Amino acid sequence: MAWEIKMKARLGRLALIFMASVASATLFGAARMAEAGGQVTVGVTETIASYDPYADSISMGYAVWCQVYGCLGLYDYDKGDYVGMLAERWEVDEADKNIWTFHLKQGVKRQNDGKEFTAEDVVHSVNRINNDPLSKQKQNVSPIKEVVALDKHTVKIVTKEPTASLLEFIFDRVIISAKDLYDKYGAREADRKYPWGWGPYKLKELMIGQRIVLEKDSSHPDAKSENPDTLIFNIMREPEQRVTALLNNEIQIAQFIPPHLAERVKGGSNFELQPASSVEIMFLAMSPKYKPWNNLKLRQAVCYAIDRDLIIKNVLKGQAKRLDGPIGAGQYGYDPDYAQKNLTIAYDPAKARELVKASGYDGEPIYLDTPVGRYINDKEVTEAMIPMLNAVGINAKLRTPEWATLWADVQKGKTPFYYMGRGSVVDPSPALSQYFETGGSPRIGISDLQIDKTLAAERVTFDPIARKKALNAAFKAIEDAAPACFMWRHQMLYGEAKNVEHTVDPGGRVFGTRIVVKP
Amino acid sequence: MPGYLLGRIAATIPVVVMISLLVFLLIHAAPGDPADLLLSDEASATDITEARHRWGLDQPIYIQYIRFLANIASGDLGTSFKYSDPVIELIGDRLPATVELAFASLLIALVVGIPLGVFAGAKPNSWADNLGSVAGFFGISMPSFWLGIMLILIMSGYFNWLPSSGRSTYGVAQGAGFYVIESLFSGNSKAAWDGIKHLIMPAIALGAGMMGLVMRVTRSSVLEIMSEDYVRTARAKGLGEHTVLWRHVLRNALIPVITVVGLELGTLLSGSIIVETVFAWPGSGSLLIAAIQSRDYPLITGTVLTYTVAFVAINFLIDILYGVIDPRIRFGR
Repeated sequence: MAWEIKMKARLGRLALIFMASVASATLFGAARMAEAGGQVTVGVTETIASYDPYADSISMGYAVWCQVYGCLGLYDYDKGDYVGMLAERWEVDEADKNIWTFHLKQGVKRQNDGKEFTAEDVVHSVNRINNDPLSKQKQNVSPIKEVVALDKHTVKIVTKEPTASLLEFIFDRVIISAKDLYDKYGAREADRKYPWGWGPYKLKELMIGQRIVLEKDSSHPDAKSENPDTLIFNIMREPEQRVTALLNNEIQIAQFIPPHLAERVKGGSNFELQPASSVEIMFLAMSPKYKPWNNLKLRQAVCYAIDRDLIIKNVLKGQAKRLDGPIGAGQYGYDPDYAQKNLTIAYDPAKARELVKASGYDGEPIYLDTPVGRYINDKEVTEAMIPMLNAVGINAKLRTPEWATLWADVQKGKTPFYYMGRGSVVDPSPALSQYFETGGSPRIGISDLQIDKTLAAERVTFDPIARKKALNAAFKAIEDAAPACFMWRHQMLYGEAKNVEHTVDPGGRVFGTRIVVKP
Repeated sequence: MPGYLLGRIAATIPVVVMISLLVFLLIHAAPGDPADLLLSDEASATDITEARHRWGLDQPIYIQYIRFLANIASGDLGTSFKYSDPVIELIGDRLPATVELAFASLLIALVVGIPLGVFAGAKPNSWADNLGSVAGFFGISMPSFWLGIMLILIMSGYFNWLPSSGRSTYGVAQGAGFYVIESLFSGNSKAAWDGIKHLIMPAIALGAGMMGLVMRVTRSSVLEIMSEDYVRTARAKGLGEHTVLWRHVLRNALIPVITVVGLELGTLLSGSIIVETVFAWPGSGSLLIAAIQSRDYPLITGTVLTYTVAFVAINFLIDILYGVIDPRIRFGR
């Protein structure tokens, strides 16, 4: 009995100590709100894998290195056009459309040592992308045959063939690193110990898999006093974690809030949601290499059978914009009038049924493959599509292979029918060529003369107005051949603290110069 | 004794070799190509072929395995496809975080589980026993990822007591190596407390399962020993119940507990993979997940081999510890 009393007293004391310890955690628990011009932390989903700016090919990597080293230029979504960053202006030779001349900004001083940015750094960077054994960015310079420094501030790029969409390849993505540091220290040491560039932010800390820390270079002309002095990217793959961290004030910006967590952010009094249409095109691909997808009428039937507005409303909670044609507003070449008149495929199950009947489809089971967790509500969205397809007479079933398996099969052209996204589509020319031009890639494997002809024509059309027309002709050809049904572009939702003003980039990139910390 | 130790060490070598072969074959058999996954969506067929050649993936599988074994023999686990750094360096950078997490989880499991088990075993069918059983079953049955998410929601989300993820706060310390232990030893209390705050929730999520098991095994063991003659003799000699329990009963009750802890330590390491993902804990577990998702073969095999060696070594140490705890084993009786 005495022993029991002692035990109870002991346990009581232990409980008190535990509660006091946990309560004391509140003294240090909350992180601070962003101070004016101070520190802003962003919860992000991707991480870069290396100090080598060419060793990754992901949005996060391009965003970080463009801010640190600098890029030739960027796509300005507000203006709907390309703007120079390290390049001041550029032109295409009238006589020979393979020759591009870039005039570089003068007097741009490097971080830490003030060395001037010159044309030889551009030449070095393009060559390094091609020759660095760790480079995963060769596709960005694939149209380039030759790059030459004409003088200290002028670079000539010669393409292999006329490529009107060259800027889509090299702006935002060709990171300009220093030739002198590379020559002196070699790649590994230069990247790790001397990551000095001509961007508005310096690399302060890189803990791979944990966080990336950038520090503002106040002497840079693009860096304003109201931009954060320190920009931290914290890797947080789980969306619940990002939302909790935002509401906890551990971070001030949370990237990619899924629709089902939007209400939690809205419910916080000091937080708001910032939407932006992504530049990732979501589509259903149907490979004509496989039966029954070799039948045009059946492919067309799929496009009429899916009620995209209903899925957007109920499954995506309104956080997507329907695509009429391969691209939408803000993407290069988009013509809303043309899209409405010529590219809109309205939901029409009766028409879908007629097309299915006319196609002679015999009811064999067909499988729609979708990744799970790769895109917003991908499984739920495709689960909603299956009964719509069944309702028009298509015996569709859903499969959910693991991403690595699915992607390997798609890359090899082994997947007849799948739901997928194509990201980073600003100028759609490379993406459309990749998926729909003969020999582009095996992913769909369509070969259509009209598609090939229109894509080849837009590639060599340099006048902006004429090119837009040529692109729309290509969109029409693709829709007529129906190798894919274009679904929507997701609305990217960013959760943000109210004292942080952030201009969201539809490419999913976070730039310090687009963040203003309000006092 | 030295002969016994050498024999045990020698016996682990074929185990490690067999496991390396198994893992190597399994990951190569799994669908998915590293070049497809790691290169850009826009990479050309030529780029992909070049990458496969650079990584040696165009060689026959037996050549790849022989090369892999030859590298291991010289202490080289290869170069990561994804991170382009030596695998041994990558694991070396991340393993301390996992070890620290596992150690903290083990501490929680033992500090909570053993006393609960002792109280429960000493007073069967009492309130202490019932409390212990509830805690034990809760720990065993709760999936660690769910418990982790609930902890984040409650302790970070609602009460704002603890940080929701990561290992350290920027500006306090870098949060690498054995962060908490090194901060404590160097007297950096701010960094140590920062590390502990980040460690509490993942350690609870990971340690809860082992805590439940330890509690149940301790309880059963104490129950059994309480009825032994030497316990009755100790009471008869006039020793207090507290002394009987903690000096005589517990020491013998710990033998099966040590067995269980040794076996479960491997589970702690493998269980850390899920917990590290939930809490964005930068350990070797989350490194392994990233490696599997991108089919980074050298990193997968290197990490799994490291875990294998660790598991074998831990079991070896547990066997030695038996001799310390139980003199009968030490003297071969």
